[in-house]
Amino acid sequence: MKFSYNWLRELVDGLDTAPAALEKLITMKTAECEGIEATGALLETACAARVESVEPIADSHNVKAVVDAGRYGRKTVVCGAPNCRPDVISAYVPVGKKVIHDVESDGMLASGAELGINRDHSGILELESQVGAPIAGCLPDHVIEIDNKSITHRPDLWGHEGMAREVAAILGRKLKNPVRTDLLPSGAASIAVEIKDLDLCPRYSALVFENVSIQPSPLWLQRRMITIGLNPINNIVDMTNYVMAELAQPMHAFDADLLKGGTIFVRRAHPGEHFRALNFEEYTLDPSNLVIADASGAIALAGVIGGLDTAIGGTTTRVVLESANFQASSIRKTSAVIKLRTDASMRFEKAQDPANTTRAIARAIELLQELSPGIRISGGVADRKRDVPPPPPIALPLAWLDRKLGRKVPAAEVREILDRLEFGVAEPAPGVLSVSVPSWRATKDISIKDDLVEEVGRMVGYDSVTPQPPLVAAAPPPRNLARAFQHEVRAVFVDQGFTEVYDYSFISEGAARRFGFDPANHVRVTNPIASDQELMRASLLPGIWHNILENAKHKDAFRLFEIGLEIHKRYDDGLPDEVPHLVAAIYDRQGRERLDGAVGLFEIKRAAECLMPHARVCPAAAAPYEHPARAADVMWRGERVGRMFELHPSLIESGRAALLDLDLRRVEVLSGSEVKYAPIRRFPSSAFDLSVIAGLREHASKLEDSIAQFAGPLVESIEFLRQYSGAPLAEGQKSVSFRVTLGSADRTLSSEEVSLIRARIIDGMRGMGYELRV
Amino acid sequence: MMLSTSMLDRSIQELESRSLARIASAKTREDLEAARVEALGRKGGLNQFSKEMGKLPPEERKRIGALLNAAKQNLEAAIEARERTFAEAALNVRLDAEWLDLTLPAPGPRRGHLHPITRIQRELEELFSSLGFAVLDGPEVETEYHNFDALNIPPDHPARDMQDTFWLESGNLLRTHTSPVQVRGMERFGPPLRMIAPGRVFRNESVDASHEHTFYQLEGMMIDRDVSVAHLIYFMKTLLAAIFKRDVTVRLRPGYFPFVEPGFELDIQCLICGGSGCPVCKQSGWVELLPCGLVHPNVLRMSNIDPEQWNGFAFGLGLTRLAMMRYGIDDIRQLQGGDLRFLEQF
Repeated sequence: MKFSYNWLRELVDGLDTAPAALEKLITMKTAECEGIEATGALLETACAARVESVEPIADSHNVKAVVDAGRYGRKTVVCGAPNCRPDVISAYVPVGKKVIHDVESDGMLASGAELGINRDHSGILELESQVGAPIAGCLPDHVIEIDNKSITHRPDLWGHEGMAREVAAILGRKLKNPVRTDLLPSGAASIAVEIKDLDLCPRYSALVFENVSIQPSPLWLQRRMITIGLNPINNIVDMTNYVMAELAQPMHAFDADLLKGGTIFVRRAHPGEHFRALNFEEYTLDPSNLVIADASGAIALAGVIGGLDTAIGGTTTRVVLESANFQASSIRKTSAVIKLRTDASMRFEKAQDPANTTRAIARAIELLQELSPGIRISGGVADRKRDVPPPPPIALPLAWLDRKLGRKVPAAEVREILDRLEFGVAEPAPGVLSVSVPSWRATKDISIKDDLVEEVGRMVGYDSVTPQPPLVAAAPPPRNLARAFQHEVRAVFVDQGFTEVYDYSFISEGAARRFGFDPANHVRVTNPIASDQELMRASLLPGIWHNILENAKHKDAFRLFEIGLEIHKRYDDGLPDEVPHLVAAIYDRQGRERLDGAVGLFEIKRAAECLMPHARVCPAAAAPYEHPARAADVMWRGERVGRMFELHPSLIESGRAALLDLDLRRVEVLSGSEVKYAPIRRFPSSAFDLSVIAGLREHASKLEDSIAQFAGPLVESIEFLRQYSGAPLAEGQKSVSFRVTLGSADRTLSSEEVSLIRARIIDGMRGMGYELRV
Repeated sequence: MMLSTSMLDRSIQELESRSLARIASAKTREDLEAARVEALGRKGGLNQFSKEMGKLPPEERKRIGALLNAAKQNLEAAIEARERTFAEAALNVRLDAEWLDLTLPAPGPRRGHLHPITRIQRELEELFSSLGFAVLDGPEVETEYHNFDALNIPPDHPARDMQDTFWLESGNLLRTHTSPVQVRGMERFGPPLRMIAPGRVFRNESVDASHEHTFYQLEGMMIDRDVSVAHLIYFMKTLLAAIFKRDVTVRLRPGYFPFVEPGFELDIQCLICGGSGCPVCKQSGWVELLPCGLVHPNVLRMSNIDPEQWNGFAFGLGLTRLAMMRYGIDDIRQLQGGDLRFLEQF
């Protein structure tokens, strides 16, 4: 929202605070200023000048003009405007001397656009002023731009009057009322208004004007429009925009002669009703949309945009001026559905003040008398409304206010602040104020005492509050074990050389398919930002896969991990299941010494064991993205907690990647067991080595399990020592060596006992068909 | 043969000095062993004199015995000293042979790196834990109720426009802020409550160097009796001093957020220019850092907390923005980019 400093000055009595200082005050006490911009600097020195003579310049479309520039004297200027002709009165600006086409041009004749009055670049400004006079009503100005988000809750700040009220309150000055309600005509209205739904339209006021002439607005009004970022159109449209920018009340003008019947209806649209809008779009409406209608159908989409069929134009002579109030949420909904936000809808959706409709009409009457000479009012104001009692006053206990702010504000100061903001203040009981809210703050903004804390707080200034630590019970906060555990996991993996990445929660259907995931099993985004971000990830693997490919462009070897949420289409309590996972990857480019990829896999296994001591890896059928001969379940404390695998070669062009994917929710649960101390054994253990000859693809863990089973309860540990294949072993065979350690907590085992167990293992293994080297 | 005791004396002395000389000149362990056998061996050396002693009168026997013992001890000490010299020399040879180039790099992977957001987040978690705040988590996929309605943002509230929302087919949404965790915190623990909730949030915005649809916030809330603006400012200053490791100047100005009343924007005096104006603070001297305010009574009521008995403050800190300020990161996309050349700097 753009505010004109000059406009604010017209409304605040004696405002002399410089624009930059004012901007700062507004930021600290009312709403955030995004910037301040000087406009129309040329107007400072511009004056009306008569063109006395014009002569062409050879080889140029420009002409050399001699002008009578009043106090600046007679000047020669070079001008390129087609309307630069003798006797025209234009605007001269002394911008200095410059040689153009060998002619010295001393100053310039300016167009409306150059001066910041309108958008007209087609020629120089044509005036009807006295030579030497400044351009009436057009002055340099400063535009203060307020962040719209910071006035979402303040319907009144969508007009200059509201901001002027703030400024007056901040500076302790008087606000001038720009509205003369005495201009409102009384008597019977010459148009009927019928509101079918008073919830959606609490008030509709209208007035008919006759003998209207549609013409360009005077320059001062055009300049105002430009200053606040609007285009000047014609006197009627500019007037409605002016009133809206001043009072925050949107208005609309219909050509009265184009209306069918003598009644304006405010009703819900019929299902499928068609409406042609001023923007040349055609909309199909439904009963959730509120329309303004005549006997033949919709003539405006209430609070959003007018209709094309009843629009004013060059031949319009009678105008119905609408000044209405609409329910905020209904306007917002309609504007969102048809994807059209207008200056009107933006204001209405903030909940405008119903008391403002006739004020706006009064302001319009005053302006139109100047803008459309000879205009006549026809009949009185048609005004239909729901009578809403004013909200009850708010009780504001002053001690409570002080406690909320954390500082004391004297009662007199509180009263003065509220008074300046035009709240009604009484003190029926000592220490408690009774505060009535002005109508323009009562629609949505202020309804409870907490809202008044802000009014007082911002005006006394929050920098007047001294920071203070609270007195609270020294209770330890509840622990977040899941989060603490995840931080522990991070520490383990960083120690093992892995670097943490953050990936998006979105994946594409393509990526899901690449991994053999069914897109239908993913939670889908209904309004994705791009087509490659339409699914919520149900696995972190596609993300880290992307990271591997990208980093492999720059690095030969690296380790990555991510801890993030998998989002699964299993609903519990209405929400999808979010499962924290860890994925870790070790990448190594092929062609280096670690050609076969085994090192990467065992390194990642070691990292997993750092997190989960004695975790086991059980080879299992591979998923489509896994190397079919290098994929396994990760088991810990009897439960499957994840997968370890090498990435399928089809997913990676060069090099190999070993991956680990763990369900951290399960791992956390399993890691929770407390340590229980076992006394150190006092009796020595006995150990012996065994080598089992097995098929090349037999799993060492299976051999170990069998040995353990035959060894029985006295086994302390079975340690893998080495494996060997090649001569003298037969093709397809390997020898796997283990060290078996036996022991007992209460005695030293005799050599007979040890031999017996050893023999039992050997016999057992042989019984299973294995040959043993002992 | 009967040796005179004086001859015996001399022979012992001779053997002792000859053996000492031999020990001293031994070049190898073998030389030394030969010298030892000659001097102390069972059949030779001093032992041969022991046999003679039996024939001596008792007082002489005692004297010669002492003499022999002294000689033996001298020789043994000499042998031991010589052995030590050999051991030392051998050790020195080994130590020298074990010269190692310690400037070679250590084998194995280098330590990895935590994501910059993780680093900042952990610091803040620790700080707030030390101040008695619980660290809470909430789901990334949220209900409309928790993300909006329970925060005093009913349907069709214009504030919903402030946060472009990703909607999901289930009717749920991706949380647009960490504020719904406030609601979950109040539902779960009730008052009094001190909590923070760091996490990932989503807004439907196009990505460029300064905008991301995925970023990180840290929500904070305190509910107790008589929590005031003064308390809020105290915590915010403590928080910022810890983050920036120096005292910071802050200012509160009005800001509108439906879930707080009054609501503030907290600015810090620009750390780059110290408040005199620079491009980072857009010449204003201040940088907008965190929205905060006193919890709106509607929000308390919706979570079944009586606003006449309890009140509180809430704030939302942009972790992404903070990380960017802290580390001077000029492109927000780096944070989700997974590029090791970026991540390894932290």
